[in-house]
Amino acid sequence: MIAAGSPPGVRRLIVVSGAVSIALVVAIGVGLAVGPIPIPANRIGGALVSYLGLGHSTLNPTQSLIVWQIRAPRLVLGLVAGSMLAVAGASYQGVFRNPLADPYLLGVAAGAGLGATLAIVKVGSSALIPAWTPWLAFGGALIAVAATWFIGGRSVRSTTATLLLAGVAVSALLTSVQTYLQQQASAQSLARVYIWLLGSLAGASWHSVGIITPYVLVSLGVCLLSARALDVMSVGEEEARSLGVRVRHVRWAVVAAASLGTSAVVSAAGLIGFVGIIIPHALRLVVGVSYRRIVPLSLVLGAAFLVLADTVARTVMAPSELPLGVVTALIGAPIFVVILSLRRPS
Amino acid sequence: MIRLENVTVRAGHRVLVDDVSLRVEPGSWCTIIGANGAGKTTLVRAVSGLTRPDQGRISIQGRDVHTLSERERARGIAFVPQHPEIPSGMRVLDYVSLGRVPHHGVMRAPRVLDHQVVADVIERVDLGAFVHRDVVSLSGGERQRMVLARALAQGTSVVVLDEPITGLDVRHQLSILELLQREVLECGLTVLATLHDLTLAGQFADRLILLHEGRVLADGDSSCVIRSPALAQSYGIEVAVVNVEGVDVVVPRVGVSYREPRGNPGKV
Repeated sequence: MIAAGSPPGVRRLIVVSGAVSIALVVAIGVGLAVGPIPIPANRIGGALVSYLGLGHSTLNPTQSLIVWQIRAPRLVLGLVAGSMLAVAGASYQGVFRNPLADPYLLGVAAGAGLGATLAIVKVGSSALIPAWTPWLAFGGALIAVAATWFIGGRSVRSTTATLLLAGVAVSALLTSVQTYLQQQASAQSLARVYIWLLGSLAGASWHSVGIITPYVLVSLGVCLLSARALDVMSVGEEEARSLGVRVRHVRWAVVAAASLGTSAVVSAAGLIGFVGIIIPHALRLVVGVSYRRIVPLSLVLGAAFLVLADTVARTVMAPSELPLGVVTALIGAPIFVVILSLRRPS
Repeated sequence: MIRLENVTVRAGHRVLVDDVSLRVEPGSWCTIIGANGAGKTTLVRAVSGLTRPDQGRISIQGRDVHTLSERERARGIAFVPQHPEIPSGMRVLDYVSLGRVPHHGVMRAPRVLDHQVVADVIERVDLGAFVHRDVVSLSGGERQRMVLARALAQGTSVVVLDEPITGLDVRHQLSILELLQREVLECGLTVLATLHDLTLAGQFADRLILLHEGRVLADGDSSCVIRSPALAQSYGIEVAVVNVEGVDVVVPRVGVSYREPRGNPGKV
């Protein structure tokens, strides 16, 4: 009798799950406690406990404002965005069976980029990024993905390859329009466009968190429920069909969910690169190729990673901030290289 | 029972399978032979539900294959393609366990019964020593046994195989075919396979179907089909059939040009 329930990778899975959970707790603590104005972690802990009716908060009004109205929404946006980008990346990699797939593959980045550029360039007199930028970015991303699906994914004969190629074409077209708009923009507007394109959580508020969270929760739910189907699809679409999987339905559900969640995140945080690629790959190297492991662990590690990266972005050059996309790549790439070099051959 | 009624499959204007009707009895082994491009793969794909026929009906146990849902079909027919995709990084146990997906579904975890079936199949195909190995680390013969194990784990009454012994050495070819034969004899499995090796096809199948340009050229008992003049016509070469210790060995005749017979070879 085979010991089907006790594979040797289970111990490693437990260790990795524990490690990413600890990373998440550390990230939450760091995200609330660390900043240009130091606030002791024990006071933040006391304030958290006071919400449960135990003891009372020792934060003064200024500290309370900083923690609950500035750092906390930014932390939650980081958790939501990081988990969504990592899960979307893992799901895209599964559905396209392409390790280079990322959440921006089907035109989300190009569509959101064009929408945001349109919003910023058309309000050249304002010194700030216009309030309706997220909505245009969100709409642009959804229209881009819908166009990609309409061109390359709706036919019965369509494959992941046709969908990918349609994504390339749509992205190229929208990027060219965006480039044209940037060329016409003032230097001030152009700088704001670049700030948006490189991603940032600086604009986080409870309002923006409240708007994107429902989309992200639905998307995460669909991606988590599709993980087992993605495992079956790793043997190829036809063989997955012969194993009873409705491949076209799964592909549609995962692409729609991952794109919707990513569009929502991008509308609030701009184009944060690298998270959707590095997190699933790093996990794949340590826990194996099963999406039932990679997708849920990506949710936790993606959230922790983005919050830690954002903490670096807003503290190392305080009071100014580094672009978040730059930090995710600067931190993520070396870690990824180390994991890759330590990987043992199976 | 597998039943095909006037099945025609086209690709554009090209007819790949042309008005084929046949029945495969439960617990029997039927092998489709024929030259490259004869329509063998298209026919078995149609039976497996992967290719929809342009005309005709294919049923298994009286139910139309193409009106069943994917999951219902996967609980009735297992398909082994000619070139199965082997996903790097997956363990043999996990790969074989995919065969239980039609039973527990993609939204639920495998149950105790599923684990038991997988363990039983792995023992039957003698892969017990490899369960925790990466699938890509297996040899060609071991991989094919693993793919067969996945198909058997589906627990279907019908297994359809497209060239299951391509690229294997003689020992591993025999090992795969003997394994299938055991499943037919001991478990009552119905096998529909395509094979290129005519001698092995004759040795293992209860019945051979010779396909030529999408049509059934000969259909019947293995020794009759192998000795039929239609065989030479289908392949376009002269062959000799030599009986060695009760086994019909098909030998292609080198340097002898194929000559069209005077009459129509007709059906066997």
